[in-house]
Amino acid sequence: CGFTPAYGPQGGAAKLLEGVEPAAPTTRDAFALVQQLNARLGASQVTRYRLDYKIDTESVGQGISPDNATTRYQLNGTVDYTLRDATNNAVLLTGRVTSFTSWSATGTVVASQAAQEDAHRRLMVILADQIVTRLLSQAPGLPE
Amino acid sequence: QDNTATDAATTTQGAAIPSSDELATLLADRVSIRNQNELVAEGNVEVFYKSNRLSAKRVVYDQKEDKLYLEGPIRLVQPGQSQAVILASQAELSSDLQNGILLSARMVMARELQLAAARIERRDGAITIMNKVVASSCEVCRTNPTPLWEIRASRVVHNATTRQIVFEDAQFRAAGVPIAYLPRLRLPAPGVRRMTGFLAPQFRTTSGLGPGLLVPYFIALGPSRDLTVTPYVATSRTETLNLRYRQAFNWGKMEWSGALSNDDIRSGTRGYLFGDLEAQLPREFRLTAQLRLVSDDSYLLNYGLGDDDRLWSGVELERVRRDEMIWTRVGNIHSLRADENNSTEPMLSGTGEWIRTFRPAGIGGQGSLRFSTLATRRASSSTLDLNGDGRPDGRDMVRGSLTADWRRNWLFGPGMLGSLEAQFAGDIIETNQDPAFSDTILRGQPTVAAEIRWPWVKTSGRAAYVIEPVAQVVWAPDHLADAPNEDSQLPEFDGGNLFSLTRYPGEDARETGLRANVGLGWTRYDSSGWSLGVAAGRVFRQRDLSQFSQGTGLSGTKSDWLLATHLATANGLTLSNRALFDDNFSVSRDELRLSRAGDDFNVSAGYLWLEKNPAEGRDDNMSELMLDTGWRWGNGWSGTLSTRYDFTAERAARAKLGLRYQTECIAVDLSLSRRFTSSTSVAPETDFGLSVQLVGFGASGGAPARRTCGG
Amino acid sequence: QSVDFGGLRADKTAPVEVTADSLNVNQESGQAVFSGNVEVTQGDMHMKAAELEVFYASDKRSEITRLHATGGVTLVSPTEAAEAEEAVYDVKAGTVVMTGNVLLTQGDNVMSGNKLNVDLSTGAGTMDGRVRTLLKPAGSK
Repeated sequence: CGFTPAYGPQGGAAKLLEGVEPAAPTTRDAFALVQQLNARLGASQVTRYRLDYKIDTESVGQGISPDNATTRYQLNGTVDYTLRDATNNAVLLTGRVTSFTSWSATGTVVASQAAQEDAHRRLMVILADQIVTRLLSQAPGLPE
Repeated sequence: QDNTATDAATTTQGAAIPSSDELATLLADRVSIRNQNELVAEGNVEVFYKSNRLSAKRVVYDQKEDKLYLEGPIRLVQPGQSQAVILASQAELSSDLQNGILLSARMVMARELQLAAARIERRDGAITIMNKVVASSCEVCRTNPTPLWEIRASRVVHNATTRQIVFEDAQFRAAGVPIAYLPRLRLPAPGVRRMTGFLAPQFRTTSGLGPGLLVPYFIALGPSRDLTVTPYVATSRTETLNLRYRQAFNWGKMEWSGALSNDDIRSGTRGYLFGDLEAQLPREFRLTAQLRLVSDDSYLLNYGLGDDDRLWSGVELERVRRDEMIWTRVGNIHSLRADENNSTEPMLSGTGEWIRTFRPAGIGGQGSLRFSTLATRRASSSTLDLNGDGRPDGRDMVRGSLTADWRRNWLFGPGMLGSLEAQFAGDIIETNQDPAFSDTILRGQPTVAAEIRWPWVKTSGRAAYVIEPVAQVVWAPDHLADAPNEDSQLPEFDGGNLFSLTRYPGEDARETGLRANVGLGWTRYDSSGWSLGVAAGRVFRQRDLSQFSQGTGLSGTKSDWLLATHLATANGLTLSNRALFDDNFSVSRDELRLSRAGDDFNVSAGYLWLEKNPAEGRDDNMSELMLDTGWRWGNGWSGTLSTRYDFTAERAARAKLGLRYQTECIAVDLSLSRRFTSSTSVAPETDFGLSVQLVGFGASGGAPARRTCGG
Repeated sequence: QSVDFGGLRADKTAPVEVTADSLNVNQESGQAVFSGNVEVTQGDMHMKAAELEVFYASDKRSEITRLHATGGVTLVSPTEAAEAEEAVYDVKAGTVVMTGNVLLTQGDNVMSGNKLNVDLSTGAGTMDGRVRTLLKPAGSK
């Protein structure tokens, strides 16, 4: 039915493993995104591709209770990324991934702040996974 | 015919030709030299001097007086500071085009502000004096010659160095009707960003304070500091003075805003003080500090200063590099919530994290060492639990944790990606004012995990597909010494932690026992640009160690099903939904988000369903619709609508309607918002705001959409 | 130091003196062609050219009616200088018409165009054809 293992011989994605070097992070969100990309693809040993990314997040208050407490926050995130050939810096792919996570603000202040930090980390894991999935589908077209 | 140039024995080659930018260049179809010192240029005459350009039909250049006499449609372009273009029928200018007089002229500044005048005089290159002037930035057409607004003045002086325009005995007309007379009016020239003076006034009516007016006055204190003073007077009844002070440094910036009020809502003087500081420290550290003080719980809502109900004041320090992250935050929170008590809740807290990642020699893969800490303090020192939140009212706690982690991937078999992960986390926890815990708790938790991913891909002509089954087994000892739980009370379950070693947000609690996390993802990328992704997952536990409360979807030996769908279309629409439901499909959590960003229409809508979960402080179901939408329909009109509708309480929590009319010469903002929520300290409130801004003065850029004539 | 903008002047009755490397004369047509460093002087006005053709009145051989200079011509007077590719000096009319990359300099003012004709008696000159003039504003140094 036309499916083949992505990391298999015809899949073409094996060259992504330990071959992608994300740009150096400068924010905590970027650090979490790079950690998940390295976990999924392995930190690059032989850098074949370079991944530049721009992360935008925005939190929106939700769950307004009748007595005006904001009990829930939704964290919306978008990453615009560019995959470049490490040898000549040519742009191979560009793309955009979006998703959201959320956290409750019903517990104590410390609990809500910790939940907010965790929502950021989880959002970066989801966005990194979406990038990897997209790269798997486009891997056959990438140069060795 | 005597030849007076006795000393002009300079041979032509020897004459020192001045450098090129000192010379004015004249171009014409025909140039004739008449009698003594007159040069007559005719036909498409153009004169260039530095960046100034002039074009005219006929020019006579009198060399002796260094004067240009110009005729025909004259167009003088002076980019410089004022970006002015002057059109005139007749003019007499110096040859460097800096000084002189232009008759029945029209001056257009920065393509925005137009001043038509009987006479324009330029003096020493910077001062422009205009007589009998009509000034407006509105497009004037033959079909409707009266502009939306205009200022008529007998005399107008524009100073290019101070970049100010002064109107003398000015008459302000709206749609041709004179509505105001000002002996003297001083306005910033177009493009000026910082000039001391009044800003556009705002009209605001709220049910709490009645109709009122805000008149901001901006004081520029040098290039890097400014102060804005905004008195706000409302009929029933407040007198408020708002102050905002900003200062920029080469290492960062600082902003203070505050207000003092005297009104009918509460007795005594009320007010608030907010401070924000950003600093770039040496060795790439970034420091941000924030202060939030307010006199009472309802002040911010009464004066429309945002609906933040927990005010955090504190300091945050951060540095992030490729293989190292350092972050710490220390601060105190003042809660405005009716049901929160600032002394029995942990308002003062500090937390920090230092992570170092590295590639261990020999065993390969990636290692990381993480030191983290949390300290929380409740003002009260009582060991009793009077507020019934299950924790002693005065409990304080400090935790230090060290976590070592190692992970490595292997590719084996037909494209299977396996990975092993091992982690050891050690905590030391000091507790006081909580008899349930000994003063010092020491604990450690080893965790090992094995994961297999087996992604399949298929690319047909129209689309590319990815199917990815994932299975992970995680083991940690069933038992972990119990500790006071401050930061892990609100766990979530989504695609972001389906395969992580702990689903607690913090480290006061750690996930224990043997469990398997299973997931399957299916994604289709269509060649025309849209993509659809569906992912499902579940957690199976060997034993129910009752770690998670019922409503979180993570309780029991089998967690709720996690189903996440995600649709993205080529023209910017994204629809994502995440649901947690059990085997008989009773949904404990569902979150839907729709967003489309376009320049003519954008919408961000969402639906939220949360089953009640007293353990998380949610006593009844939360079912809320959220809608924020904005659209722009032709010739300058655009609107925004946003609302929060609470289905459980059967009424809206918030509704806001905004209307904006913006053309190249005016920007009118209308906003009507209603907050329906009420509590012991806050009554429902309606807020109506109107502000009118003349475009063409200062930096208030007009709408790109210039209205066109003959429409 | 205001420079007289009087343009090029010459007394068309003054004698015309021509010097050149070589001369050849065609008896029947009465045409004389000077070539090689040709210099023409009449009063204050000097003209230099690569080649000069002299035309005499058909009835009176000794009277020059027209000078046609080619191959790069410069016309110099005490206050002005003009350069062009060609120049025709109509002695009887007292006019000079210079064509081809004409460059006229007077003191600090420089003017370039395609065609310049000067009335030597009045000093009035007219330049045609997208004329470009450099003026020195009083203010500048």
